[in-house]
Amino acid sequence: MRGIPTVLVTVSPDVSAQMRPPRALYPNGFKIGNPIGKPGMRELQRGVVKDALELLTQNTRPGQIVVMDYPAYGEYHEPVSVKVK
Amino acid sequence: MSSISRKCVPFTPFDGDLSRATISIVTAAGVHRRDQEAFNIADELGDLTYRVIGEDTTSADLMVTHHHYDHADADEDINVVFPIDVLREFVEEGYIGGIARKHVGFMGYTMKLKDMYDSTAPAIADEIDKGSRADAVILTGG
Repeated sequence: MRGIPTVLVTVSPDVSAQMRPPRALYPNGFKIGNPIGKPGMRELQRGVVKDALELLTQNTRPGQIVVMDYPAYGEYHEPVSVKVK
Repeated sequence: MSSISRKCVPFTPFDGDLSRATISIVTAAGVHRRDQEAFNIADELGDLTYRVIGEDTTSADLMVTHHHYDHADADEDINVVFPIDVLREFVEEGYIGGIARKHVGFMGYTMKLKDMYDSTAPAIADEIDKGSRADAVILTGG
């Protein structure tokens, strides 16, 4: 099996980073339950999904989580932190 | 947990063109079709099962069963965790090639992490690998 390219959209970047995902996007400050954005905000949702898909075509560093800002989201929620041993 | 992929990152290159690529969604946000069995939120150890969501599924067919995050927003608009309508728009616009035949929802809460890693995750990968025709997968959590 060759494997399937994946891109993760996470709202818990510290938790996700422990798993070292091959590609990942953290929409900065989005709360749990809102990885793609808020209900009904289709332009915002499209932007997040498009940025995630674009990571497939970019020379990202495996295991790194890319942080992007989406001012239209209008809120900032501190993500869950994890103490890495 | 951090030891699981400490040695290497399981990176699969994407060497295609997004406008020709078929995309699948795999989510840990507890998404399933309304006509499928709900995830078992009564078991304190969680639920290791998953649901296959077909390509013809509409956002109205979907719901969330998950008791470890507030899914009120997903109840209002499933696209916040499972962007199926967004992908459909991208297909119409030619930005992506298509929507995969299979998508997967599971409840990303379990105390049985070894079983999740050893059994559920490979089974989900197999679902996508066999018969979904996905060229790439978007993963989301709750």
